[in-house]
Amino acid sequence: MWGIFLESVVIFKNYMGFDQNGYLAGIYLFMLLYLWLTEKDKRIKAVLVYAPTVILLLFFCPLFRKAFVRILDDSETYYRLLWLLQMSLVSAYGMIKLCGRHRRIGLVLMCAAVIVCGDFVYDSENITKAENAYHLPQDAVDIVDLVEPEEGRITILVPADLIYYIRQYSTNIELPYGREMLIARWDYWHDMYMAMEQAKVIDTASFVELARTYPCAYIVLSEDRQMKEPLTGYGYALYDRVGEYLIYKDMETDIATVK
Amino acid sequence: MLHILSLLFWLLIIPYCIGLIPARYITADKKDPGVVLLSGYFLMWSLFEVIAIPAVFWVKYNNFTKASICFMVVSLLCAAAGLWLTYRMHKTQGTSRSVRGPGALFKPLPPAQRIEWVLFFILLGVQLYMSVSHASFDGDDAYYVVESLIAQQADVMYRILPYTGRPTDPDIRHALAVFPMWIAYVAVKSDIHATIVSHVVMPLVLIPLSYLVYYEIGRILFCRRGEADGSVFHSENLPVFMCVMAFFQIFGNVSIYTNETFFLTRTWQGKAVAGSLVIPALFWVILRIYDGAKESRKDTGLWILLTCVNTAAGLCSSIAVFLVCILMAVTALCLAAVERDHKVVVKMAAACIPNVIYMSVYAYLAYGYLLR
Repeated sequence: MWGIFLESVVIFKNYMGFDQNGYLAGIYLFMLLYLWLTEKDKRIKAVLVYAPTVILLLFFCPLFRKAFVRILDDSETYYRLLWLLQMSLVSAYGMIKLCGRHRRIGLVLMCAAVIVCGDFVYDSENITKAENAYHLPQDAVDIVDLVEPEEGRITILVPADLIYYIRQYSTNIELPYGREMLIARWDYWHDMYMAMEQAKVIDTASFVELARTYPCAYIVLSEDRQMKEPLTGYGYALYDRVGEYLIYKDMETDIATVK
Repeated sequence: MLHILSLLFWLLIIPYCIGLIPARYITADKKDPGVVLLSGYFLMWSLFEVIAIPAVFWVKYNNFTKASICFMVVSLLCAAAGLWLTYRMHKTQGTSRSVRGPGALFKPLPPAQRIEWVLFFILLGVQLYMSVSHASFDGDDAYYVVESLIAQQADVMYRILPYTGRPTDPDIRHALAVFPMWIAYVAVKSDIHATIVSHVVMPLVLIPLSYLVYYEIGRILFCRRGEADGSVFHSENLPVFMCVMAFFQIFGNVSIYTNETFFLTRTWQGKAVAGSLVIPALFWVILRIYDGAKESRKDTGLWILLTCVNTAAGLCSSIAVFLVCILMAVTALCLAAVERDHKVVVKMAAACIPNVIYMSVYAYLAYGYLLR
């Protein structure tokens, strides 16, 4: 039980970003305490103070966590219980109750506190200038535009950094393996993925034999991907180039690949 | 142009007209156009869920088109019913119970609040601009966005593996949360690629809707209470509340797990909608129902709305159903304790009936084989 409790503490700390100097949790806990002491409207107190407190206690309760994980059969989403606290809502209410009599100065102080204790969402490494209306990398869009058949579907083999995007642009393109291979903790295994991504130097003969079992109509490779022998020696032709990617077309299974 | 008109029709006019149904049963002082629109969305999503889930599991071919046609007919009928109810109400009761016009939202701002409101709308504008001009990478898009696109391009719901394109049986946990199918519906009706609808159109709709919920919460907290608690509870603090909420969203990225991070980086995913729209909406409706004397808690429309918000949780995420049940149970017990009234628990349990049905369907589909 103690171990489960400590796990909940770790989840709480990760959620609150303590390791990245995020202290919004400090504001929230202070405001929750402040509202405990000062809120006079019993109904608002029940919804914004008592209920979140009970949920917070449940979050750290080992028995509750065991039941939650058992029922949902998923321990990775336990942190979402903290969404029920609606920290920003409770914190904002408490802050205004504390500073509301000095509206303008209070607003400046409140915003400054949030800025200092929080983290700016738009400087996240996952947010970049959109390259097109799809919000997908332009290379992925260009590659699909080049290889997509007018009718039917084809299978293509692409490097790991394009896997997320290809089928967000067109579902007429199928992949031998998908995003499931890129999440290490999911622990999937796929021979094509091993041949494509895990080998330091691609063994062309076995690689081509494997690719033709799907069959992959096109193979997209980074230009710096090392291979024992060039694909052009195995019935492939260099079809086009998009950015740093080289697109090879399988000339031997050209027609049969369109489903 | 036709694309934009279609979007306005399906994302503004239809939800608003549908929202007139529950709004008909809400007293005039508790509703404004924002309440009607939010009510419409939650009722519309509930309808979509009730129609789409059976189609996912029990219709094998072209199940998306079949569900879309059913939903289109039902939503148009509901929108017409909303208009008809409002017309009848005007005829029989005058304007006493009717929704205040758009002026209720757009009346001239008092000079004292103008700077705060302008600041809030700048913050909102920044969030909307960033959601359109910047792409946010999230690996889950390879599942959710592709599911929407499969429905649009292949007319199939949850029967093709989004990662690879191979055929599959519906994955129960994801297939019960049909929010990506609603996005696909909007994409088909507006004839816009589902990925563009997910990444560009949805943030332009869902971010303002979330702030509309916060606005309604702010109105309850700051505009309707007596002076007994002191001078902070007046409408001048409503724009301050909105500004602080906007700052919390923009600076709430203390980890990748917070609902604020989900709100601005994965806005179009059902779980983000659950965290930033459905759960705050529960707070809003519960606060609204229990705002004031016991006699004023009999607004049927608010109880319909509470039930719809609970139902909409299932559209967003299977886990959200479980989460909102916990929130409802804990809040009901706390309210029952402070009110010394056990009926609170009974009433709020009744509002959770859709969640119980949802969880029963989940259990049947996931573990039904044990009974056979």
